[in-house]
Amino acid sequence: MRKSWVFIISCIVISLIFIPSAWCKTKTIKIGINAPMTGDIPKVGEGTKYAAEMWLEDVKAAGGIAVGGKKYPVKLVIEDNESKAESAVKVNTKMITEDEVLVIVGPQASKQAIPAGEVANNYKTPMISPWSTNPDTTKDRPYVFRGCFLDPFQGPVLANFIKGEFGFTKAAVLYDVASDYPKGLAEFFKQAWEKLNGPGSVVAFESFTTKDADFSSQLTKIIKSGAQVLFTPQYYNEVALIVQQAHELGWNKPIVGSDSWGSAETVQLCGKDCYGLFFSTHYAAAGAKGKTKEFIDRYNKKYGYVPDDVAALTWDSLGIVKTAIEHVGKLTGNIEKDRKNVRDAMAKVKEYDGITGKMTFTEDGDPIKCAVIVRISNKGEYEFYKSVCP
Amino acid sequence: MNEEYGKIIGITHSIKRKARSLFSEVPLLGWLFGMLIAVILERYVGEALAESLGLSKIPMLFGVVMMLKNPLMIPSTVLYLFTIFVLPISVVARLISGPANRVAAKLLDLPILISVIIHIGLLYAVLYLWSEASAYRVLTLKLTLIAVILTLSLNVVNGYMGEFSCSHPGFMALGAYAASVFTVVLFVDDKLFGHALLPAALAPFMFPIALIIGGIVAAFGALVIAIPSFRTRGDYLAIISLAFMFIVKSMIENLEVVGGPRGLSSQPDLASLPTVFIWTVACIWVTNNFVRSTMGKALNAVRDDEVAANAMTVNTRRTKITAFLFAAFWAGVAGGLFAHVLRYVNPGTFGLQKLAEVLAMVYFGGLNSVYGSIVGGVSLSMLGEALRPLEIFKWIIIPLLLILIMIYRPTGLVAFKEFNVGKLVMPKNKSDQRKSDGAASG
Amino acid sequence: MTFFFQNLINALQWGSFYALIALGYSMVYGILMLFNFAHGDIFMVGAYIGFGVATGVTALASFGAIVLPKWLILVLTIIISMFLTSFVGMLVERLGYRPLREAPRASAAITGLMIGIILETGNLALLGAQRVRFPTLIKSETYNISGVFVTNKKIMIVVVSLMLMLALHQFVRRTKWGMAMRAMAFDFVVVPLMGVPINTIAAMTFAIGSALAAAAGILFGVAYPVLDPYMGIVFGWKAFVAAILGGRGSILGATLAGFLLGFLEIFVAMIFPSTLRDLIAYSIILLILTFRPHGFFGEPYSARLRL
Repeated sequence: MRKSWVFIISCIVISLIFIPSAWCKTKTIKIGINAPMTGDIPKVGEGTKYAAEMWLEDVKAAGGIAVGGKKYPVKLVIEDNESKAESAVKVNTKMITEDEVLVIVGPQASKQAIPAGEVANNYKTPMISPWSTNPDTTKDRPYVFRGCFLDPFQGPVLANFIKGEFGFTKAAVLYDVASDYPKGLAEFFKQAWEKLNGPGSVVAFESFTTKDADFSSQLTKIIKSGAQVLFTPQYYNEVALIVQQAHELGWNKPIVGSDSWGSAETVQLCGKDCYGLFFSTHYAAAGAKGKTKEFIDRYNKKYGYVPDDVAALTWDSLGIVKTAIEHVGKLTGNIEKDRKNVRDAMAKVKEYDGITGKMTFTEDGDPIKCAVIVRISNKGEYEFYKSVCP
Repeated sequence: MNEEYGKIIGITHSIKRKARSLFSEVPLLGWLFGMLIAVILERYVGEALAESLGLSKIPMLFGVVMMLKNPLMIPSTVLYLFTIFVLPISVVARLISGPANRVAAKLLDLPILISVIIHIGLLYAVLYLWSEASAYRVLTLKLTLIAVILTLSLNVVNGYMGEFSCSHPGFMALGAYAASVFTVVLFVDDKLFGHALLPAALAPFMFPIALIIGGIVAAFGALVIAIPSFRTRGDYLAIISLAFMFIVKSMIENLEVVGGPRGLSSQPDLASLPTVFIWTVACIWVTNNFVRSTMGKALNAVRDDEVAANAMTVNTRRTKITAFLFAAFWAGVAGGLFAHVLRYVNPGTFGLQKLAEVLAMVYFGGLNSVYGSIVGGVSLSMLGEALRPLEIFKWIIIPLLLILIMIYRPTGLVAFKEFNVGKLVMPKNKSDQRKSDGAASG
Repeated sequence: MTFFFQNLINALQWGSFYALIALGYSMVYGILMLFNFAHGDIFMVGAYIGFGVATGVTALASFGAIVLPKWLILVLTIIISMFLTSFVGMLVERLGYRPLREAPRASAAITGLMIGIILETGNLALLGAQRVRFPTLIKSETYNISGVFVTNKKIMIVVVSLMLMLALHQFVRRTKWGMAMRAMAFDFVVVPLMGVPINTIAAMTFAIGSALAAAAGILFGVAYPVLDPYMGIVFGWKAFVAAILGGRGSILGATLAGFLLGFLEIFVAMIFPSTLRDLIAYSIILLILTFRPHGFFGEPYSARLRL
């Protein structure tokens, strides 16, 4: 018996000696990506991951991020949050305490960004959610930022646009009651519209539940209500179904959407039915110029489709992160201090010139940026129609 | 060829037998003590050892994440695990088995409760020291313990009573929302409910009340299912419970007061590790007693043959309603804890995904079994965390594993096994056992 | 009145899907007493296979290899996909359910659930997160019948699904195999002893159920041309509700319950604010079950769980 113990212990000692004891550690900047790779919205996760990988390529080509005259290599820690709130919290905790990331980009959907933001704020780690439009995500959380505009801004933009463009007075809204983004936007739109046209001017306010595919009873009601325009702040997969079914039920008036339409998939899934419709978004892919076009072309070449708003916003968020890190001046090596410095630098970012517009953060960590109204052309491209700034 | 094979078999058998004889006399107390030493060891030399082995840091969840991410790390991670956990635990447990047995025997002379409390205290010390290494471990541990409560409570209905209830996410949602509303109204300045009514210092004392309220609300919800269950069973009850789950989710989505689909956030940070641990222990203890009582036997009778049970003077209605209320209560408590660990709830969390998760835990661990529920809850939640580096393929590997378990052990890993607390804390060597025989059986 | 009829038409279409999927569920359930929780995902796989077949055949036709009218492509797609998907069903039965035939039914249900997750994730891993658009096989034409809008698709979907249901009914009533199935549903233990090959019957049940699910998947693709890997989950669970509501193994019951579920969802949304749809629709189902605890056509004794 004793022999075996001796053997084991000597084994350990020998291996301890032979394993290189001091592996030289290069200081790398770690950036966490918290994305829904599986679950309800895998497409969003995919866009996030692709944009992040493309960004990493650029950074690698430049030899890393330069801070205070020294270049640091960058590593991405991409984790799947399964599109679940508790999983997003776990991922954030893991990335902050285990992987010791400097900054977190994500989670995308508000359902995960709100609880995950709490974690990031508690551990004093800067986090930027590219896509979460819920005000609660950043509210009273100095360490949490976002890359997109908020629902309270987008609602009035659309109401004003419809009123000014068509002169309508009766609108209908169709939205997903179980998903906070469409629901929030639908309510803000309703408020803004009723302010413009008086109470009761939203003649139909209809809803459905996530994963529904049949909207015929709601649409039948909407058609019967005599609305002049249908507003539906839905995701691209539902847009295709809603528009098509509305046309089949005899609706031939305009349908207007929000930034969630801004995916290449909208037209791909919807086809001719969507031609000629308007929506507001962060950026217009067709007719884009300069950097934006460059990004789109590169992404399209690399992954085979035109990037959606998630990819563009993730790209911009990473750009902001990079700018902030560069402005820190010096990385101390003490992760907590560095995080605080990065957070301060991020709050000070002024007029960041991203592909989705110029951004400056408010005190809450929300960017002030312009919305773009886009028309889907008869070739299925997103044409710039007009730009609305706060 | 055959001879060699036989030889190998013989050797492994003898090793197994030796190992068993080596450790057969180690009581639970000894094991716990060994673990304590191991976690203390990790705490003080873990980092240095990890560094010298070329690991970037202490392997968090027993190194699985590290090994999957970088297969080159396998030897050093295994070595780390061996030196920090396997070796100290086995050596210490073996060395102190003598004294530990004596202590265990002594403890049995006192009321059994004291012995149990000492064991639980040791267990908590181990978990605490283990999890203190990082916040990630703490969070994982908390969610794992909550999963254990949930699994255990569902096992009462699905395992002991033999129904196929699909409503657990619904009960959990009710509990989560009720407890959250209670704490948020009382202790948080919130835009939904206005100013805090009580000073925040009182919050930790009121938290148990919040959880109990959560449990009671969930139990009230359970009446909706329990009453139809008088007249129907099995498949029809399964869809009643499923409908109930859809109803709860839809109802919360329509309740603007609690935030609707946007969810309810800013719960005070009350669910600390000791709180969650105490509630988990309480749940295990109560459930264990519940299923071992005549009520538990009545549940089994109802499961095996309702008519016969009725004929044998089992009050089937009361049995069913008690089981449902009991299970729902604990699911509600789990929900309340869950809400306060995450500090955010939304109705989308309590959907079909959650249902699949809980069902998998119950049937993986084992039906009709307190042990099984603990095993199922712990192993599936740990597995989900540890296999993270596999990304998408995690959700192929885990289901595959479950299917294999179902095929080879159709009732789950440890089915039909309850805790016998007396046996558990008993000394394991013959002489001390005999001495304390009277105490244990009494 | 037009409003009502419009909704009636909508509900007929929506109910057809529930009914078709519930039928497959109900058959497996009736004969093997299993909850086949993978059925919703087989529906998804069927839709994807249909997508592949339709794209393939259309590509062949466009290369000029064969000249086919669009409707014939659709018919071909349905037939080929039903055939292919039935193999998927048999595979699921062979790997996931047959080893568990003696096990508690709930364990088999868990296996089904897990097979479903594997199918979803497998699809995600294979095809990526991109949602796919089902090719347009029939040109949508809208007829306005005094204010009620009916499309040719809707008519086609309802007619095809009714035909399939009728075919299934005839198969079960008229053929020897159908008789074997009914016998098996009547007594799972004794009938195999009388020389009815249980494995063949079980495989066949799964094959037929999966084929029906595939048909439903393709019709779904025609009506709602957006496919994603997770589309089967909600359908699966709701069809589960319909199948059991109909009563154990009753084809008529499953069909009726499927349509009932479709009607409930559509009409509740028509009368009440659509926000409350799930709440009210499922409360009604709960009430129905409280007063008719064994579904429409189920017998009380069959409701016993084997464990």
